[in-house]
Amino acid sequence: MGTISVNGETYEVVAASDTPLLWVLRDELGLTGTKFGCGIAQCGVCTVHVDGVAVRSCQMLVGMVGQRAITTIEGVGDTPVGARVQKAWLDLEVVQCGYCQPGQIMAATALLAANPDPDDGAIDAAMAGNLCRCGTYVRIREGIKHAARP
Amino acid sequence: MKRKLLLSLAALVVVAGAAALGVVGWMALQPGPYAFAGGSTVPLTAYQGPSPTGAPAEFAGVDAAKGAAYITAMADCQACHTAPGGKPFAGGRAFVLPFGTIYTPNLTADPETGIGNWTDAQFLDAVHRGIAPDGSHYYPAFPYPSYTMLSDEDVLAIKAHLFSLPPVKQANKPNTFGFPYNQRWLMAIWSALFNPNERFRPAPEKSPEWNRGAYLVEAAGHCGECHTPRNLMQALDQRRKFGGATGEGWNAYNISTDKVSGVGDWRPDELAAYLSTGHARGRGVASGPMGEAVELSLSQLTGADIGAIVTYLRSVPPVKGDLPAPAGPAPATPQIAAIDNPVGKRIVEGNCASCHAWTGAGAAREEAQLTGVRAVNDPSGANVALMILHGSGAATARRPYMPGFGKVYSNDEIAAVTNYVTARFGAQPSRLMAADIARLRDAN
Repeated sequence: MGTISVNGETYEVVAASDTPLLWVLRDELGLTGTKFGCGIAQCGVCTVHVDGVAVRSCQMLVGMVGQRAITTIEGVGDTPVGARVQKAWLDLEVVQCGYCQPGQIMAATALLAANPDPDDGAIDAAMAGNLCRCGTYVRIREGIKHAARP
Repeated sequence: MKRKLLLSLAALVVVAGAAALGVVGWMALQPGPYAFAGGSTVPLTAYQGPSPTGAPAEFAGVDAAKGAAYITAMADCQACHTAPGGKPFAGGRAFVLPFGTIYTPNLTADPETGIGNWTDAQFLDAVHRGIAPDGSHYYPAFPYPSYTMLSDEDVLAIKAHLFSLPPVKQANKPNTFGFPYNQRWLMAIWSALFNPNERFRPAPEKSPEWNRGAYLVEAAGHCGECHTPRNLMQALDQRRKFGGATGEGWNAYNISTDKVSGVGDWRPDELAAYLSTGHARGRGVASGPMGEAVELSLSQLTGADIGAIVTYLRSVPPVKGDLPAPAGPAPATPQIAAIDNPVGKRIVEGNCASCHAWTGAGAAREEAQLTGVRAVNDPSGANVALMILHGSGAATARRPYMPGFGKVYSNDEIAAVTNYVTARFGAQPSRLMAADIARLRDAN
């Protein structure tokens, strides 16, 4: 199909341009940190960044990305905000089973990059599309505040 | 004394009669659909330029069947003459009108239930004059005042295409009109007043592209049938041409060149993208009846024909409307407390934000952008509510899938989401109630 840029590296993509970006990331590039959840953009577990904005990679077609920079959970720790979020997650032991957490961290990082000091309302709004079946929502909110003011 | 009373009564009758005549006359004696262009027009046969009718050479030149299929797509017969989930052109689609429900008839070549026994002359009479083979008159839900402008050759090409398809045996359903609307003979008077029964007349002073666009928009595409408001007699009000109207609950927006309510500030490439793909970045997605028009008709047209339509649309004079100018981007950190609608906010956060983004700018796909879109900047909220109720329908090559939420949320909840979306991402909030949503459910 062409090339895409993921975590600063350029990859040649074989899949057709109407393949969901998530499938390309996981099956073709082997970047399996990004998870499949619902497949219809309702759970948030597949969240990645495209030019710093959180998007659901199950609904984004690889042909629509163009040359915009994709960041996945494998690369987000290389950004200052992503590193702070990951540290906060470890400090507060936010994770329980962990399946949704790649999406939670990507969404939290995108929120903090756009809004360095969000209040509860802004956090709830930005994180509302990311489900957690273990119910770690309270710790996620604390983790975001911790990352904002380490 | 008695005589005086009689005289004044007679005078009253005369005045009232004259007033009624004046009103009807004002409606009947209106400008033609493209009279705004000024200048002279000539019969098709006398026109020196390239023919504005027919299929483009790349179709008509291949073989007659390809050309006929193209012309049928130009006129978009299929959208109305196909029931949801039914066989194409077999009819049976319901239109709920203020006077009752009307069902479109079977256009396939089945001799019993379709038009298999129709002669060319009968087909021409139906499409140009709204007269059935038995002499009865069609209701103007069938847009023959537009189709009357189609050339004889194009009408017969449509017939040839319909006869080339497999016949479908499917009986027509009678309409449910009550008195006096069930009096079909009244349509003869209506036709005499409002159907000029005249073929398209090119304007030699205009460019060939404009003439082709006028033919595609006015004769074949019959855009005005949805986008032009109707007068008291249910005829298109050409004085407010393309000023916007409603159909099946959907608002068919102002497509005149008015810069605020219409499409006057759309760039030509935006218009072309919207018409040919159903989406223009930042302008929204064609949905509901317009989605069908794109899918079944406009997306089939050549780039040159879409260009001609755009040229023509941009020449239509502006008609002021009451829609606000679209609001700009929504802030990333809104004054959430300012919108007192917790139900709408909760549902938008949980269901909408993952594709449309919390800023309404769209996540994942351009089509998901809400800000700047006319429907979201329409304080009636009708099209937003219908989209939430029914979703986009199945995804196509040109259109991503949006699920419908009509079966999982109550009318109160759908109203709350609509009001929240228009308040958060649009210029003016809608104030829909559960009863409005119930009405919209019934209209579709």
